[in-house]
Amino acid sequence: MGEMLPGTLDMLILKTLSRGAMHGYSIAQFIQQASDEVLRVEEGALYPALHRLEVRGLLKAEWGISDNNRRAKYYTLTPHGRRELDHEREYWARVAGAVTRVMAT
Amino acid sequence: MIPFLRRLAALFRRRRLERDLDDELAFHLAMREQDYQRDGSSADEARRRARRQFGNVTSLKEQARDMWTFHPIETLSQDVRYALRTLRKSRGFTIVAVVALAIGIGSTTAIFSLMSSVRQQALPYPHADRLMQLWGNVMRAKVERRGASYPDFTDWRSQSTSFDGMAADQDANAILMSGDEPERIAVEYVSSSYFGLLGQEMQLGRPFTADEDAVPQKVAVTVLADGLWRRRFGSDPAIIGKELRFGARAYTVVGVARAGFKGMTDSADAWFPFMMSGSPDDLASRGSRGFVVLARLKPGVTIAQAQSELDTISRRLERAYPNTNAKRGVEVSPLDVEVFGALRPALAALMASVVFVLLIACANVSNLLLARSEARQREIAVRTALGAGWPRLVRQLVTEGCVLTSVGAIVGIAVAQGAVRLLLATSPVSFPSFVNPHVDVRIALFTIALSLVCGIVLGIAPAIHARVSRLAEALKDASRGSDGRRSQRLRGALVVAEVSLAVVLLVGAGLMIRSVQKLSALHPGFVTDSILTLRFSVPLGNTPNAQPAGAPTGPAVSARAVLEKIRTVPGVTAASLVSDVPLAGEGGATFYSAEGQPSTDAQTMPRAYVHRITLDFFSTMQIPITSGRSFVESEMTATSTAVVVSEHVASRFWPNETGVGKRIKLGSITSNAPWYVIVGVVGETKYRALPENPTADPDLYLPHLDRSRQMAVMIRTTVPPSSLVPAVRAAVRSVDASIPVFNVQPMSDLVAQQTAQSRFTMWLMGVFAAAALTLAVVGIYGVMSYLVSQRTREIGIRLALGASGREILRLAVGNGAKLIGAGVVIGVAASFALQRLVTSLLFGVTAADASSAAAVAILGVVALVACYIPALRATRVDPLHALRYE
Repeated sequence: MGEMLPGTLDMLILKTLSRGAMHGYSIAQFIQQASDEVLRVEEGALYPALHRLEVRGLLKAEWGISDNNRRAKYYTLTPHGRRELDHEREYWARVAGAVTRVMAT
Repeated sequence: MIPFLRRLAALFRRRRLERDLDDELAFHLAMREQDYQRDGSSADEARRRARRQFGNVTSLKEQARDMWTFHPIETLSQDVRYALRTLRKSRGFTIVAVVALAIGIGSTTAIFSLMSSVRQQALPYPHADRLMQLWGNVMRAKVERRGASYPDFTDWRSQSTSFDGMAADQDANAILMSGDEPERIAVEYVSSSYFGLLGQEMQLGRPFTADEDAVPQKVAVTVLADGLWRRRFGSDPAIIGKELRFGARAYTVVGVARAGFKGMTDSADAWFPFMMSGSPDDLASRGSRGFVVLARLKPGVTIAQAQSELDTISRRLERAYPNTNAKRGVEVSPLDVEVFGALRPALAALMASVVFVLLIACANVSNLLLARSEARQREIAVRTALGAGWPRLVRQLVTEGCVLTSVGAIVGIAVAQGAVRLLLATSPVSFPSFVNPHVDVRIALFTIALSLVCGIVLGIAPAIHARVSRLAEALKDASRGSDGRRSQRLRGALVVAEVSLAVVLLVGAGLMIRSVQKLSALHPGFVTDSILTLRFSVPLGNTPNAQPAGAPTGPAVSARAVLEKIRTVPGVTAASLVSDVPLAGEGGATFYSAEGQPSTDAQTMPRAYVHRITLDFFSTMQIPITSGRSFVESEMTATSTAVVVSEHVASRFWPNETGVGKRIKLGSITSNAPWYVIVGVVGETKYRALPENPTADPDLYLPHLDRSRQMAVMIRTTVPPSSLVPAVRAAVRSVDASIPVFNVQPMSDLVAQQTAQSRFTMWLMGVFAAAALTLAVVGIYGVMSYLVSQRTREIGIRLALGASGREILRLAVGNGAKLIGAGVVIGVAASFALQRLVTSLLFGVTAADASSAAAVAILGVVALVACYIPALRATRVDPLHALRYE
């Protein structure tokens, strides 16, 4: 059960959504599973982040029907969100590489 | 930018957003619950776990919501909603506060809109700031306005460079002969440039050309006002080119002015070229002055520059024409001052009064809010404990104040609309016809700003109080009984402020009432009760309508015959003809000379007002004859040499004699005018204006000439004058049905017009003072009741220890009396200090008047009663009950 690195949640959400439309719950599940249960997304952080990204125009939200036939809010990336993901990815690679290099010394 | 727009859009679908958020989180919970159930938890267990996992839903929602909102606006709307809720809950308080604020804000808005309708920009002419009136003045002991003569006017126009243009403008009357009945209308003789200077276009036809105003015309031209055109000619579009008869002259209609334009006199029905205003001889005489000149400054030229240029021209004219232009100057006066000047000081004083009323209303509501914040101390303490900072609390309190004042302002604007209309309709002062106060952007902004300022002012007292009250103490019940010293002082200060403001207003109203009293008690030198006045004009020739446009010779009927007929009307005890009605603003001054007088110059040359009268004018008007006699029948001829003068003439030239038998003549001593012999001396009268004639020039009375065609009748009656109007009209008609009768009015109406402005100010000041008094008394009563209820326990103990009711009364009333006393002292001091603001409105009184003492006494008594009632209640306190109280 790991703590989320500050500032990375937005990037992880964008990355997760680059695979297609998802609702909040599945986003959280996906991040958790994809990180082998290391990263755990708190609801208290997830929804404010989703709404923040939506307000910024990086995500688009639509109401749809979930697998179990319930009304759910599905998020998708906007082109703007896709560009933002690229920026974030590049930035993360640079920072992570730098941190790794420092830690390797 | 995009996020901003999204948030903005979100503002308008707040409810939907809220529901979506709920749904989204519910879905999340359901999914998690489902997962737990799949893992083997029972349904209940799964729900609990899911909830626990989820944490604080409300705070999460709040955070998510924050993403969508503008923080300050949202908290503001929260505050407003909260304020509305609390105000709705305490309905009584809200109603009282809103009514007080609506009175304050409404009356302030009403007076402000009146003030704004008499500002320079309110003149309905383009470039109003550059429009001036030019007056030919005599530099006598007191500068005296006389107007221009035509030669003066043309010299000013041709020699000056400061002006875009100048126009002569003389008001007069004319008899319109079209239709069945001749009608007397108000006209203006104007230069051809007049309409252009005022930016007036015609709705039909054209204005005058310069040619039409160059020399007197045989068939002249006229421009009609919209009102006359509609009323008399049924808006006939073919009126242009038609010929109309005004008096003996024919005029061709060349234009119809736009609706609403009634000339500078604000009453004109038609305009004629200035050249038609008199004979060529009159127009060429530099010495006969009497009309006003309208001029427009060139852009960028200041009034001072124009004035100094005209001063130079005046000196040049003085050298060139010493006989007529010695000691004469020109005064440049802005048009807006001429039109609105008389109204402004009164409105300024009223504005000050109404602001006082508003302040009292605010003090009252502030007091109520303070009392409420006392009651809400626990609520405020709880909010503080939950982390609301002082600034946040202040904001909440100020918001509450602003919500109150906004509601007050909305009601107030509605009140103001009605009040202004009522005011204009009932005002004894006539405002120019184009004055139309209404709520426009300026007024709305003013009211909004005003209500915000008041809201902030209202919030301050409770906010100070909130800062003072200590959290821990407020939360403990025990402290509820006692009021903080500081908040008591705050209340005291509010009472003192209310009392002093009310004193100032009451003193002001008292002074106005006294002024009006003194004005009405003023004896003008003639009787004003039971006198009816009217004017009529005798048509030319025998049968006016059939008269060919030839040369008419004389009046169709004798005015004396009309007079005799009027005398036979039952209820009439005396009647007399006179050339001009007292106080009606008619007639003009003339130079005269007395035999053997010392030599004079332009500044000392004797001037007098000449009135032509029949024998019994003095007895009708009850003007005392101090020596000699009135005219006798044999003197009622054109060749008569008898004259009656007023006392100043006799005392100026023959201080030790009565003056009877001495000789005077009109014009200069060297003129070849005939000598008149003084047969009688009568008392001075305020013939021209109340409370004082504009100048000290005396009156000369000459016999009425039967060949004059326009005259007035003064009728003394034994019954109320207005009741005789139909009978008198019928009497005139029975002599000749074609005689137009007009300006029929009791003398008392003319007197009333002279005192109109004072009465207008008096009424409004009185209303405001009454409002102030009421509000202040309500405020004092509220505070005193509160203070007594705060001290119920203390009073109970005192009573239990043997204090008498009288002692308790003294204690409670004494408390209030101290505050009232302080307020009265400050108020009286302020009244004296503010006195000079209203001196121009007062007549014969100062703040040291007895009415001021009365005002203070009224306020003192009423205020003490307001203290006494709650105090009396205190003495009825049951000690046992009081000790258990709380």
